[in-house]
Amino acid sequence: MSQMAPARSYRQIVASQFKRNKLAVFSLHIIFILLFIFIFADFLANDKPIAMKYHGKMYFPVFREYAVDWFGINWQDQFKSQQFKILEHSYEEGDWAIYPVIPYSPNEYNLEAKLHPPSSIHLFGTDELGRDVMSQMIHGARVSLLVGFVAVAIYVFIGIILGALAGFYGGLIDIIIQRMIEIMITFPRMFLIITIVAVMETQSIINIMVILGLTGWTGVARFTRGEFLKVKNEDYVVAAKALGYKDFRTIFRHVLPNTLTPVLVTATFGVAAAILIESGLSFLGFGAPPEQATWGSLLSSARDMLPSGWWLTTFPGLAIFITVTVYNLVGEGLRDALDPRLKQ
Amino acid sequence: MKKSLVIQFSVFILLLIYANLGVRKVATANTETVGNAGGIKVELTGEETIFNSSPADLTPDTGGTLVMALSAEPENLNYITSTSAAGKRFLDYIYEPLLNYDYETWEFGRPVLAESYAVSEDGKTFKFKLKENVYWHDGQQLTAEDALFTIKAILNPFVDCAPLRAYYAKISDAYTEGKYNFTIVTSETYFMNLEFMGGFAVIPKHVWDPQGLMDRFSVTELLDPSITREEAAVKEFANAFNTNPQGRPAGLDAEPIIGSGPFKFGRWITGDYMSLIRNENYWGADSTYIPGFTEDGAYLDKVIIKSISDYTAKLTALKAGELNFVPRMRPIQYFEQTNYKEFLESYQKVTYVRPAYSYIGWNNDKPYFSDKRVRQAMTMLIDLESYNKYVTYGMGIPTIGPFYIYGEQYNHNIEPWPYDPLRAVELIEEAGWVDTDGDGIRDKDGIPFRFTFSISAGSKNSKYMALMLKEDLRKIGIEVLIRQLEWSVYVENLRDRQFDVVSLLWIGGLQTDPYQIWHSDNIGDRGSNYVGFRNAEADSLIEAARQELDKDKRNAMYYRFQEILHEEQPYTFMFYQRDPGAYLKQFRGTKWIPIRPGYNLTSWWRYDAALGEAL
Repeated sequence: MSQMAPARSYRQIVASQFKRNKLAVFSLHIIFILLFIFIFADFLANDKPIAMKYHGKMYFPVFREYAVDWFGINWQDQFKSQQFKILEHSYEEGDWAIYPVIPYSPNEYNLEAKLHPPSSIHLFGTDELGRDVMSQMIHGARVSLLVGFVAVAIYVFIGIILGALAGFYGGLIDIIIQRMIEIMITFPRMFLIITIVAVMETQSIINIMVILGLTGWTGVARFTRGEFLKVKNEDYVVAAKALGYKDFRTIFRHVLPNTLTPVLVTATFGVAAAILIESGLSFLGFGAPPEQATWGSLLSSARDMLPSGWWLTTFPGLAIFITVTVYNLVGEGLRDALDPRLKQ
Repeated sequence: MKKSLVIQFSVFILLLIYANLGVRKVATANTETVGNAGGIKVELTGEETIFNSSPADLTPDTGGTLVMALSAEPENLNYITSTSAAGKRFLDYIYEPLLNYDYETWEFGRPVLAESYAVSEDGKTFKFKLKENVYWHDGQQLTAEDALFTIKAILNPFVDCAPLRAYYAKISDAYTEGKYNFTIVTSETYFMNLEFMGGFAVIPKHVWDPQGLMDRFSVTELLDPSITREEAAVKEFANAFNTNPQGRPAGLDAEPIIGSGPFKFGRWITGDYMSLIRNENYWGADSTYIPGFTEDGAYLDKVIIKSISDYTAKLTALKAGELNFVPRMRPIQYFEQTNYKEFLESYQKVTYVRPAYSYIGWNNDKPYFSDKRVRQAMTMLIDLESYNKYVTYGMGIPTIGPFYIYGEQYNHNIEPWPYDPLRAVELIEEAGWVDTDGDGIRDKDGIPFRFTFSISAGSKNSKYMALMLKEDLRKIGIEVLIRQLEWSVYVENLRDRQFDVVSLLWIGGLQTDPYQIWHSDNIGDRGSNYVGFRNAEADSLIEAARQELDKDKRNAMYYRFQEILHEEQPYTFMFYQRDPGAYLKQFRGTKWIPIRPGYNLTSWWRYDAALGEAL
């Protein structure tokens, strides 16, 4: 350093390091787009108009749908059948409707339009029941991301707590937790998940998230434990102990924040892995229930169609590939940015 | 990051504007009919039930190997205790019955092991005279003793064959007279009796009961519970019989199954394949040749039946030449993926009809389906015509009842229910299902109209049906939940009647007795009337028809019975299914028959067998 630079916070340093990695930054943008799709899926692909003027009055059917699903409010009588496209025949002068970008819902079927290749009407084509593939993929993105985040959140939570306890206390607690970890990792994970899912009575993505969460914590626990072992004899920890802080406070206020960052980096890779496993399970028919569009189940139903229905495998396959890749790239970027040895 | 969000949002708005400029175009384009079955050309080879690809002037050769694939593998190969169709179809080549279906009229009564038979006036006594030149695969002679032994094994109360035994429950006596005469006496007149009394496959006594444990008991003694309970030998025999290695000859060093048929047992490598070898010393080898069908013995040297459950894998193996014959494929494979010159040059594609129909069963004891108007409405809500055209590629032949559509029992005068959603909603409302509590779902007496459609995990068509029904019923205020179950769990739930709606395929016969499925005696206690159909008139018709030997009178009763079924709609009857298949063109004598499994490999031969030994 030739001249004194203004003091930079840790966050700023990491951010500037991260920005040097163009690929990671680009991947992060793609993740933002996925998040956008995740949040606004109903506004992107839906057979209901976002806003419409019908017989002189304004309606907002997509918003209404949330109210119906969440607050038990009813559809207006004229919209009971929820077939807004048919209503167009009864439009009066001056009536109009603004439809989402993809004016199809994922479960809306149209047998006459089955297996249409991609066109301006169906951007990614249609499947065997004439459902719009693009719409299914947008709503499938929700499942994939939700499973990814929730499953990882569950196992990071479990892993951090168990790892922290093992690393901080050592002794008998450490031995017990370490043996638990060893028992868990002796089972091949996919095999274990399939076994659990097979005995489950009902199929739902909540089950999948919980199972992924309950089977994935071992890596995080070991990592946290290692970090704790490294940190627990540092002066500030000893100081905290000397001040008579309760163990709870020492662990969660003083030690954990200093070990968390690398753990969260592994979580980024974990999201990618969870998305891949969910797709795999749905592909095998163990994942989401049949009425739930997911990328994996799209792939699976398309398998019989090859080679004629190429669009049915290509787009969901690409979506899984891109999502998993960008999470891994962001994870790598973060890891490098956090590595003090690379600091310049 | 802010910039990124701004860009995303503006892109979204632009797309929205673009999409809505074009929305009118989208809406109209959607209503146009585009192509047939979504752009895939569907051409069916007419309504043929029987198809023979063998030119009559060719004389069949022996030799050659056929490799085919079936989806299911049997759990065992004990003809008496096995409940799996895959096992029975395999053993049909090894064992033979006394009588079988005629190959031209499809009436039951063509002599096989029997030389002749006579039925008494009252239809209760069946006398068979067995052929004198029949030999088992190990060289022993087949006699009336073997037939009697088979009946004894079925009637032994400790042998695990309760479903089969039910068909023989009315036997009151059976005995032999001399070496070749065999008689069965039944206590009731029943029109299907000949098919059961002459249709069982005879198994060799000297193999299954070498110690002669059953010799000590006559059939009348076996029917007496006080004797079967007392005598240890009855149970001892049954235990040995249930676990006899002949019933599970898996592995390389297993003892072959001893039968009398045109094929001998080859091997059974569990999870891989089963094989049959031509019986060179077939007893019937001197009988006359009937084109396409034969009791002349088999022509193929070897038949290998691989167990492959995945359709894509089957087709890939066929294209790669690892298989010669795939009896069932998916319609899209038949119409699309095999529709190119090279495939058509080497393989013959066929469709054939089996007596099997698909249906949706509504559990009549559930509050939503207890009213026949609701069941009629359900049938009217399902657009079967479109379903058949687009989902099953026109492979279905619509049916209104449970009888074989080309058989004499089927009532062709009944008009199927139309697809009429508006009328259906009226009927549902007439039955009292309206949305009284304003939650968007119809209800009655506090029960919401929300039911579960159970589908078996492997069935794609059921899944599509359920998804379509869910989407359609949502719009009229009925909620459908879809539950995907493993086959074994599915069947368990079915037997315990733990379901709202099921979708299944029922494999029947050319002539069937509706008692098992439709009589109210068979509701509960794991009987086959799973949906709980109760109708006093139907019950009395079923009972009367069972004892009516006059075919016309009996069929008149069945016509009326079908009218009742049609009105009550305990099932929504869907289709008799055409099965699409393909085989290598070198095979001849390939005839398609209306009895299971739809083909008979005994008549198949390979015309280049002599040149192609290397094959």
